[in-house]
Amino acid sequence: MDVLEAIRGRRSVRRFREGRLPDEHLRLILEAAIWAPSAGNAQPWEFVVVRDRSTVEKVKMFSPGLFGDPDTLVVVCVNRRRVRGRGPHEVVAIMDAAMAAQNMMLAAYSLGVGSCLVASFNKAAVRELLGIPEHVEPVLIVSLGYPEEWPRPPARRPLEEVVHYERY
Amino acid sequence: MFLVVSARGCVEEPHLYGPLRLVDAASRLIEIMKREGRSSEDLNRVQMMIEEGKHLVMYDEEAFVKLLDRLVAELVRIVKGASPGSPIP
Repeated sequence: MDVLEAIRGRRSVRRFREGRLPDEHLRLILEAAIWAPSAGNAQPWEFVVVRDRSTVEKVKMFSPGLFGDPDTLVVVCVNRRRVRGRGPHEVVAIMDAAMAAQNMMLAAYSLGVGSCLVASFNKAAVRELLGIPEHVEPVLIVSLGYPEEWPRPPARRPLEEVVHYERY
Repeated sequence: MFLVVSARGCVEEPHLYGPLRLVDAASRLIEIMKREGRSSEDLNRVQMMIEEGKHLVMYDEEAFVKLLDRLVAELVRIVKGASPGSPIP
C-alpha cells in the first residue's frame, strides 16, 4: 500500500469485531515501530504487548479512553534510562514514542488492521498490572483489531489555515 | 471501577471528557441491566443514542453537546410517559 494512501485512510477504530491478528502481522506492526525516528537515535521506546484476554480486560478496566474489544493492546513506553542526562532528548522521548505509535498504526492499516491511540489510562495502574519497572513510563496504548467498520474521516483543518510559508 | 478511574483521569483531561465518561458509564450500566434482564426498550434506546454519538466529543464538540441535550430530552419523554408508580429509570 502506498504511504499516502495509508496516511489518508487510517482511522481511529473504536469498535472491533472478533478475530485474532496473525503473529506475523503483529510482528510487522511492531517492526514498523522500531523504524521510527528518534532524537539522537536514542530509541527510548519499549512495548508491552498484551494478548491474553483476561489481561486485556484488566487493562481496559483502568483505561477509560479504551473503547471496544480490541484483540491486542500494545502499551508504548519510554525507557527513561535511555535519555537521562541527554538534555532535550528527555523531553522529546515522548514524541519519539508517539512517532513509533504512528508507524504501528499505519502498518496496521496497510494490513487491514484497525487501531486507536489511547492516552486516557491510569499509568500507575497499568504499570502495576503489567509489571513495568519504575524507570519505564507507559505513555500510550495502541489498541489493535479488525474493525467492525472503518469510521468516516473526520473534518481536517485546511492547509491554508495551518500552513504558513516563509513566516507566520 | 470505571467511575473511580475516570474520576482520577478527569483531573487532567479536557473538560468535555467528564460528560463523556458520565454518559459512557450510563451506557455501561444499561449494558449490565440488559444482561440481568432489567433494562427496557426506552433504556436500550438511550444506550443506542449514547453509543452512536459518544465519540463526537473527539470530532465535533458542538454536536456532542447537542447529543447530551437530546439525551436529556429523551429522558424527559420517558419520565413523562411513565405510568404512575412505575419505576423511573
